[in-house]
Amino acid sequence: MKKFILRRLLLGIIVLLGVALLTFFLARVVPSDPAAKWAGPRATPEQIARATIELGLDKPLYVQFGKYLLDLLQGNLGYSLRTRRPITLELQESLPATIELVLISTIAAVFVGIPLGVISAKRKDQLIDHLSRLFSIGVVSLPTFWIGLILQLVFFRVLGLFPMGGQLSTEIKITMDIPKVTGFIMFDSLVTGNFRIFLDALWHIVLPGITIGMYPVGLVARMTRSALLEILNEDYITAARSYGLSERIVLWSYALKNSIGPTSTVVALSIGYTLVNTFLTESIFTWPGIGNYIASAVIGLDYPAIMGVTIFSAFSYVVLNLIADIIIALDPRVRV
Amino acid sequence: MKKLIHLIVVLLFVAALISACGGKPQEPAQPAEPQKPAEPAQQEKPAEAAKPQFAVYALNSEPLTSWDPAIEFSNGIHLHNNMYEQLVRYEPLEKKVKPLLAESYTVSEDGLTWTFKIRQGVKFQNGDPLTAEDVKYSIDRTMQIGAGASYIWSAVENITVKDPQTVEFKLSYQTPLDLVASTGYAAFIYSKKCVNENNEWIEEAKGCGTGPYMLKSAKWGDEVIVEKFADYWGGWADKHFSTVVFKKVAEPATRRQMIETGEATVAVELPYTDVDILKNNPNVAVSVDPSFQNLIGMFNTKKPPLDNVKVRQALAYAFPYQEVIDTVIGGYGRQSYGMVPYGLWGWSDKLPQYKTNIDKAKELLAEAGMADGGFKLLLTYTAGNEAEKSAAELYKAELAKLNIELEIRGMPWDSQWELAKSTDLAARQDIFVMYWWPDLPSPYSFLFSTFHSEEEPLFNLAYYSNPEFDSLIDQANQLTATDFAKAESMFVEAQKILLEDAASLFIYDRQDIWVTVGNLRGFKFNPAYPTVVFFHDLYLE
Repeated sequence: MKKFILRRLLLGIIVLLGVALLTFFLARVVPSDPAAKWAGPRATPEQIARATIELGLDKPLYVQFGKYLLDLLQGNLGYSLRTRRPITLELQESLPATIELVLISTIAAVFVGIPLGVISAKRKDQLIDHLSRLFSIGVVSLPTFWIGLILQLVFFRVLGLFPMGGQLSTEIKITMDIPKVTGFIMFDSLVTGNFRIFLDALWHIVLPGITIGMYPVGLVARMTRSALLEILNEDYITAARSYGLSERIVLWSYALKNSIGPTSTVVALSIGYTLVNTFLTESIFTWPGIGNYIASAVIGLDYPAIMGVTIFSAFSYVVLNLIADIIIALDPRVRV
Repeated sequence: MKKLIHLIVVLLFVAALISACGGKPQEPAQPAEPQKPAEPAQQEKPAEAAKPQFAVYALNSEPLTSWDPAIEFSNGIHLHNNMYEQLVRYEPLEKKVKPLLAESYTVSEDGLTWTFKIRQGVKFQNGDPLTAEDVKYSIDRTMQIGAGASYIWSAVENITVKDPQTVEFKLSYQTPLDLVASTGYAAFIYSKKCVNENNEWIEEAKGCGTGPYMLKSAKWGDEVIVEKFADYWGGWADKHFSTVVFKKVAEPATRRQMIETGEATVAVELPYTDVDILKNNPNVAVSVDPSFQNLIGMFNTKKPPLDNVKVRQALAYAFPYQEVIDTVIGGYGRQSYGMVPYGLWGWSDKLPQYKTNIDKAKELLAEAGMADGGFKLLLTYTAGNEAEKSAAELYKAELAKLNIELEIRGMPWDSQWELAKSTDLAARQDIFVMYWWPDLPSPYSFLFSTFHSEEEPLFNLAYYSNPEFDSLIDQANQLTATDFAKAESMFVEAQKILLEDAASLFIYDRQDIWVTVGNLRGFKFNPAYPTVVFFHDLYLE
C-alpha cells in the first residue's frame, strides 16, 4: 500500500514538473512583451526598460525558469501583469467561491448520481432506466453555458424564483457586514450565526450549482449503471441471490461496493472537468471565482495569471486522482 | 405520443432534481426580499426614505487594476473619479475648464507660471482640510512614481506652495496646464497626511480623497462598493445614491438582463443589436453620445509601396467608410474628419474627407505606376477586437477590386506593437489598425503621440515625419493657454497636411452608448472621462 502511494506521489510530482516546464516555455514562446504590459497602455520606453528589470526578464531563460520553480515551491505564483498583485493572493481570494460551487456539484454527483445509476441498473430497460439514461446523456452532451443561460432565462426572468447571478444580494452586501472567517461565505455565515446571509447565499448558489452539477450527475449515473450491470452478472451475485439474500442487500451492499472503484475515479475526474466548466458558468452567473478570474486573465493576456491557474488546476487534478487511486487501492486486487 | 410522455416525465424529473439539489433554497425566495430593489424603485416612487438608495454599474471587465490614483491608467478611472477629484474638470460641450478643487486659476503672460487658488472648506475623507500643501504633494508624488499617465505633467519644473490656499506651477515649456490638471488619470489630489500616516492607504483606499464616495468593501477583479462621504464639499440631498456598486459582469447577455430588470442602474458595452431592442423598452433609457475614441489605420509611410503618397491616397479612397460604420458598429459612429474626433476642439468639418471611390483609387494607382495593383499588404489589428477585425475584412474585399491582396493579422496588443517597433524594417506591418483615445482633452494628445516625428517609433506607427507638421502642432500646443482660437485653427491646419499626405486611414469617430434604467436623472456624458459615471450627479425619479 505504502509503495503504491509513494509511486503515485512520485508520478504526480513528475506531472507537475512537466506542466510547470510546459507553461513556462509556452508563455515565453508566445509573441508578447510582458514588460510592455506591466508598464501600462501608453508606456514610455523608459517605463518599459524599467519593467524589464523589475520582472527579471533581462536574465537568461534558465535563470528565469529556476527562479520560477523556486518560487513555485514556496507557493509563490508570481505577479499578475494587470493588477501587479501576487497571483497566489488573487487565487486565494477567488478560490472559496469556486470550491463552494464544485462541492455542491460533487455532492450532487454522489447523492443524486449514484442512486440514479443504481435504480437505473435495477430497472434495466424499463421506463425509469430509459429516462435516467436520456437524462444522463442529455446533460453530459449539452454545453454548460447553454444550460446556464436557459436556467437563468427560466428561473430568473420568467419565474423570478432565483436571482440572476452573484453570490449575495446587493442589498445584503450593502446593509450587512459579511463575516470573514475562512472566505467561504456559506460556512462563515453559518458559524457566525448570520442565517439571513446563509440563506441568501444558498438561494444564489442554486442555479450555478445546478448548471455545474448536471455533468457530474449524469456521468456518475451512467458509470454506476454500467458498472453495476456488469457486476450483477457475476457469479457471486448469483450465489448471493441463491442464498436467499434480499435483492436490496444484494444490490446496495454486495454489488454497489464493488462498483465504487470506477465510480470514484469518475467523481474525481469530473471534479477536474467541473473546474473547467466553472470558466463559462461563472461568467454567466457573475460568480466571483476562479473561472471568472481565468476568463479575465485570458482576455487580458495576463500570462503569469494564466500560468498560475494552469499549475493550480494541474495540482488539484493530481491530488484528486491520487485520492481516487487510494480509494480504489483499498481493493487489494488493484495493488500490484 | 410516447415521446411526449417521455418529455413530460423528463421535465418532471429535472424539476425533482432541482428540488433535490436545492431543497431549502426556495424558502428564502418566498419573503422575496432580495428582489425588492429592482421593482419598487422602478414602478412606484420610493416612499420609504429608509430604504438604501444604491446604484449598480455593470462593467464588462474588472473594476480597477490599481488602487493608487497616481498609477491607475486603466479601468479604475470610473472608480477613482468618484473617490478622488482633480483641480479642474473639462467640459467638452462648452469647451471650458471648470473649477473643481481649485476655485480659480491664472496663467502668466509667458504661459510658464500657473497659479491655482484652492477651494476653501474642502475636507478629505479622513476629516483633514484640503490645503495647497496636499496639491503639491499629490502631483509631486505622481510625477516621482512616474507610472501610468504621469508623463502628462512632464512640462512641470517645480511646484511651490505660496500660501495655504495658493499653489504655483512653474513650467519648463508652454503647455495648457489647466487641461493637464483636468485629466481623468494621474491628476488626482490626495491627502499628504493620510498617505504618510497610513502605508496601507492604497490597498484600503480609505479616506485619502476628497470625492463624494469612499470605499466600503472590495473584491478584487469582481466588485467594489463605495458609500457616501457625508462631509463632501459638494453637499448631499436625499435623492442621491448613498451607495454605488461597481460590478464586473463579463457576459453581455447578463448585463442586458440586469438593466432590463433594474438590477443594474448603468451598463456599458452591450452589443449593438441588443441596444436597438432596448431602445423600445420603456424601462430602459439609451443615450448615444460622441466619444473621444476613433478608429484609425496608420499607413507605413516608410515602406514601399506605401511610401508613395499616391498609393496611400488610393488606399484611402478604397476604404468602405459608410459600409463599415453601418455594419460594423451598427451606425453608432460617424466618418472622421481628420484625426481629432467629433466633439473635441480641433475637430472641423471644413477638413476634406476621403469618400469611397474605387475609380478614383484606380486613377491614383495608375499615376503611381501601379495600375494593375499586384502587391500584398499586411494589416495588423488587436486580436479580440471584433470591430477592427470586421472593418479589416470589408477593406480586404474592396482592395481585392484593385488587385491588392490584404493579409489581415490579429495579434495581442503588445505583439502588434512589438512588430511595429521591430528593428527589421521589412517585417513591420503596412497598415496598423487601432483605436486612439485622448490622455488629455486636447488635439495635441491626438496628434503628437501618433504623427509627430520620433527617433524610435513609439506610437507614431505610420513612421510619419514632417517638420512642417511638427512645428505647427508644437506651436499650437504652446498657444493653447494664451490664444485658444489661433491654436485651434493651427491644429486644423495640421490635420489638413496629414490628410493630403494620407498618413493614415481616419475611419470613424465612435459613439458611446449608455444604457441606463429609464427613471435615472442627472445623467450627463463627458467624453473627456471615458466610461466614467459621476454618480453624485445622479438620482432616480
